[in-house]
Amino acid sequence: MSEQPVLSVRDLEVEFDTFGGKVRAVRGVSYDVHAGETLAVVGESGCGKSVTVQALMGLIPTPPGRIVGGSARLMGRELIGLNQAQLNDVRGADMGMIFQDPMTSLNPTMRVGDQIAETLVVHRDISRDAALAEAVRLLERTRIPEAAQRARQYPFEFSGGMLQRVMISMSLACTPKLLIADEPTTALDVTIQDQVLELMQEIQREDHMAIVLITHDLGVVARMADRVAVMYAGEVVEYGSVDDIFYRSAHPYTEGLKEAMPDMHQHGKDRLEAIPGSPPDLFSPPPGCAYHPRCPHAMRICNRIGPSEYPVGDAHHASCWRLHEDAPTTASEDGHAG
Amino acid sequence: MGAYIARRLLSGVITIWFIATATFFGMHAVPGDPLLNDKAVTPEIRANLERAYGLDKPVPQQYLIFLKNMLQGDFGISFTQQNRRVNDIIAEHFPVSATLGVLALLFAAGGGIMFGALTALFRSRMPDYLIMFLVIIAVSVPSFVFAGLGQLAILRLNSLLGFSLLPVAGWGTVAHMLVPALVLGLGTMAYLTRLMRSSMLEVAETDYIRTARAKGLTPRRIFFRHQLRNAILPVVTVLGPAIAAITTGGFVVELVFAIPGLGRYFVQAVQQLDYTVIMGTTVFYGAFLVLMVIAVDIVYGFIDPRIQVSKSLS
Repeated sequence: MSEQPVLSVRDLEVEFDTFGGKVRAVRGVSYDVHAGETLAVVGESGCGKSVTVQALMGLIPTPPGRIVGGSARLMGRELIGLNQAQLNDVRGADMGMIFQDPMTSLNPTMRVGDQIAETLVVHRDISRDAALAEAVRLLERTRIPEAAQRARQYPFEFSGGMLQRVMISMSLACTPKLLIADEPTTALDVTIQDQVLELMQEIQREDHMAIVLITHDLGVVARMADRVAVMYAGEVVEYGSVDDIFYRSAHPYTEGLKEAMPDMHQHGKDRLEAIPGSPPDLFSPPPGCAYHPRCPHAMRICNRIGPSEYPVGDAHHASCWRLHEDAPTTASEDGHAG
Repeated sequence: MGAYIARRLLSGVITIWFIATATFFGMHAVPGDPLLNDKAVTPEIRANLERAYGLDKPVPQQYLIFLKNMLQGDFGISFTQQNRRVNDIIAEHFPVSATLGVLALLFAAGGGIMFGALTALFRSRMPDYLIMFLVIIAVSVPSFVFAGLGQLAILRLNSLLGFSLLPVAGWGTVAHMLVPALVLGLGTMAYLTRLMRSSMLEVAETDYIRTARAKGLTPRRIFFRHQLRNAILPVVTVLGPAIAAITTGGFVVELVFAIPGLGRYFVQAVQQLDYTVIMGTTVFYGAFLVLMVIAVDIVYGFIDPRIQVSKSLS
C-alpha cells in the first residue's frame, strides 16, 4: 500500500489508575486502515480493543485514564495530545463512531432528527432547517421508511435495529473518512445484524471510507473485514489480511479463537474447543508473552521474554517465539515444549 | 389527555373524601371540649351552643351533615372566632400562604437545580465541597432556627446600611416576602440540590453523553442540551411532594415573621379543637396538594416524551 492510510496507530499505550493499582489496558498497539478498507479488531472482552479506539477519539475519562505514549494519525494529523477544541473539530466530522447498544446511545429526550442535525450544525456552516432536511435525507439513505415522520420521533419509538441505523446516519452526517464501529451488532438479533452489516458495506462502497470494526464475532470478521488485528492483553498479537488470519494464522491465540468458533461442518466434533484459562490480569501481566499460561505450545523462553513481531507473509505478522528462526519446527516441537 | 386528567381528578376526589372522613372521626376521638371557655357557661347556654353547632346530634349524623355542607362548599362557622365563617378565613389568609409558598418553591427549585448542576460541573473541586457542606447544614437545621437567624441578619444589614432595606417581620410588600420565602424554601432547596447533583453525575456517565462527545459537540452544548434536561426529570418528579413540604411547613416561618397566613389557623384550630376550622383547613390543604401532584404529573409529560398517557390508562 503506497497511499497514505486514513488511520495509522503506532505503539499506542493507555493506562488507568485505579485503587488496586495501575492497569495497563493498551500496551503498544499499532495498526493501519486505508480508504475503502475495513479493519476488524478482534479479541476477548477486556483485551483493550475498545480502549484503543476510545483513546484516539478522546473518549477516555481522564483521570483515571491516561495515554502514556504512541501516536494515532488521521489523514496524517496527529490526534494524541490535541486539546478539546481541536479534538471537537475532528470528532463527528472526519471520524464518526457507532456504539454497541443503540438503545442507550441516543438522547432519550431529543428527537432523532435533531440529534442528527446537531452534528451538521456544529461542524458545518448550515442553518437548522437545512440541517434537518439533510437529517431526513441521511435517514432515507440508511433505508428508514417514512424518514420525514421518523425524524420527528424520539428514540423510544424505534426498534434496536432501526436505532442502529439512526446511529449510522448520525455518524455519517459529515461524510467522515473513518467510521469506528464498536461492536455495532452485538446487541442486535441475528437477522437485524445482517441488515446493519449490509448497510455498512453498501455505504463504505459509496463513500470509500475506512472502517475500524471492533468485534468478538469471527463470523462478522469473515464477512466484513479486509484486514484483521487480533488483540490479546492490550497487544496486537497477529495482524494480516482476512485470508491470512483464517487460512494461514501464525499465532496460537488466533488458532484458539478459530477453534472456539461454531462451524457449519463440524466433522466429528460435538463440542466447541474453548481456550483454557482466562485472560491475564492487567494489573500485573505475566512476564514474557502474555498468552503463555494458556498456550498449548509454550516453550521455556515464553515465560521470560516477550516475543517480537515476526513477519509471516506480505503485510502479515505475528508475535510468537515459534516464528523465530531458532524455534523448533512444528514436527519436533512437542519434545521441546516445556 | 382529557380522559386522563378526568380520571386523575376523580381519584383525587376520592382521596379528599378519605382525608375528610379520617380527619372527622379522628378529631372527634380526641379528648377535650370544643366549647370549653374561660367564661362561665351555664347549662342553658351550653345546650344552645350545642344545638347551634349541631353537636347535640349523634356523630354519624354530624358526619352526614358535614359531608352535605362540604359538597356545597360550606365549612360552617368557627367555634372560637365569633361569627367568622371558615370559608372567609381561608379566602382571607390562604392567598398570603400561597404567595409565600410559590415564592419559596421558586427559590427551592431554581436554587436546587442551579446548585446541583454547579456541584456536578465542579465535581470534587472547591465549589462542590462548599455547596455540599452548606447543603448538609440546610438539611439538618430546623427552619425556625433559620427564621431567627434570617431576622438577625436583616437587623444587622439594616443597621449597617443605616436605613431599613428589608422589614424584619410583617406582610404587604415584596420586601416582606423575600427572606421568609428563602427560609421556607431552604430545606427543600438543599434536598433538590443533592438530587440534582446525583442525577447530573448519573447522566454524565450515560452512553448518549459519550455519543454526544463522539459527535464533536462542545462541553457547553452537551451540558445544556443533553445533560441538563435529562437530569431535571427526577427533580420534577419530587416537586409534588416538595410543594406539600413547603405549604405545610409554612406555619413556623409564618409565626416567626408575623405573616398572616393560613398556617397559624391550621395549628391553632387543632389546639383549640375548633372543629369547623380543622375540617375546613385540612380538606382545603388536601385538595390543594392533590391538585399540585396532578399538575406536576401533567408537566412531566411535557418534559419527558417517553411519559405519555397510553390508551389503556385513560
